[in-house]
Amino acid sequence: MPRRDQPRLAVAPDPADDSTEALLHRTALGEEEAFAELYDRTAPRVYGLCLRVLRDPAQAEEVAQEVLIEVWRTATRFDPERGSAGAWITTIAHRRAVDRVRSSQASADRERRAAAEAAEPEYDSVAETAASRLEHRQVRRCLGTLTELQRRAVTLAYFGGHTYRQVATLLNTALPTIKSRIRDGLIKLRDCLEVAR
Amino acid sequence: MSADVHSLIGPYVLDAVDEDEHRQVEQHLTECESCTREAAELREAVWRLSDITVAEPPQRLRDRVLTEAGRTRQEAPPERRSEPGPDAGPAPAAPKRIPRMRRLFALAAAVLIGFAGGVVTWALAQDPGTSESDRIAAVLEAADARVSTQDAEGGGRVTVVHSPSLDEAVVVVADLADVTDDRSYQVWLVEPEGQVSAGVMEPGDDSATMLVEGVGDAEVIGVTEEPAGGSEAPTTPMIADIELGA
Repeated sequence: MPRRDQPRLAVAPDPADDSTEALLHRTALGEEEAFAELYDRTAPRVYGLCLRVLRDPAQAEEVAQEVLIEVWRTATRFDPERGSAGAWITTIAHRRAVDRVRSSQASADRERRAAAEAAEPEYDSVAETAASRLEHRQVRRCLGTLTELQRRAVTLAYFGGHTYRQVATLLNTALPTIKSRIRDGLIKLRDCLEVAR
Repeated sequence: MSADVHSLIGPYVLDAVDEDEHRQVEQHLTECESCTREAAELREAVWRLSDITVAEPPQRLRDRVLTEAGRTRQEAPPERRSEPGPDAGPAPAAPKRIPRMRRLFALAAAVLIGFAGGVVTWALAQDPGTSESDRIAAVLEAADARVSTQDAEGGGRVTVVHSPSLDEAVVVVADLADVTDDRSYQVWLVEPEGQVSAGVMEPGDDSATMLVEGVGDAEVIGVTEEPAGGSEAPTTPMIADIELGA
């Protein structure tokens, strides 16, 4: 049985590698230009997700700023073997946005904002690049493969920032059913997007 | 309880659990390698949902973020596992014959998932500083460590990393055929004089990681299915038998 070499992370980033992972690695090494590039690539995703969850441009901007600074600060802890850079960054963004939703401050803010709802810009019609439109279509198509209950449960939790208990209440469905519909739905989504290992 | 936690993995990757449940799931993930894998895979699907909501942020956000980054200190990276030195040598007179089955250690699991898949990782070391994970790390890093993997009869895989100089081995059992709660998988050291139990897995479990101390002159590490709690000697045929020192 041949002995494998000891695992080691890549020693130096390849300057020709412009993957998000490579940008994040160079960011971890303190390269501000790499972080600026990483910002340009990921900020629309981070901001857009915060905006969808929080539905308040001012709060979305605030949270997106926290997220992106956290990305800079903790890039040193990113491990490409545990998942993609996109997953890592988006996970931070979603968690922060949801934390904000669940903090009491957010509920106060949202109440205050409810009055100004009409003034909110129409962010769903934001112009997209051709590439992101393509990805967008793929995700929509894959969401379409879910059953209605799966899709509603997943999107209420993810975009609505609701807990699965709240989702169960909203959909008037038993908790165990919601838990398993969320999981089945995500597995179906994973298979459709072909992101399994 | 564990089944209950397990069913929360879907809501967990959507951040749709409360703080208590979040902690329970994270704890569960350190003990269940297939669950860690599942959570990671689901996350790769979940983040793609944000494709739909991409939106251009105001230009001032870029200026603010880049300025603030410029004056924000970056965190230190996670500590690397210690190199095996004189202190990481064989444990003095470890009680050789006490069966010890350890539940999954995050570090070893991460590393060995990596070995098995041809990709290697270090960074699931969420449990640094415990003597077990340090000792597992020492085996994995030993200059003479040998890695052997075998598909088990009925499904799953057994991986052994053996360091003759440390006289220890790390055994990772993953995704064996399902057993009911009245059966346990048991790991054996097969020696010239016969088989000695190296550890019994929790009843019903199909995956685990263990440190085997005092490998001695064992020739093979084998796995059998036994009544819950294990047997004195194997009562069923080996479903995997990994040769040591091949």
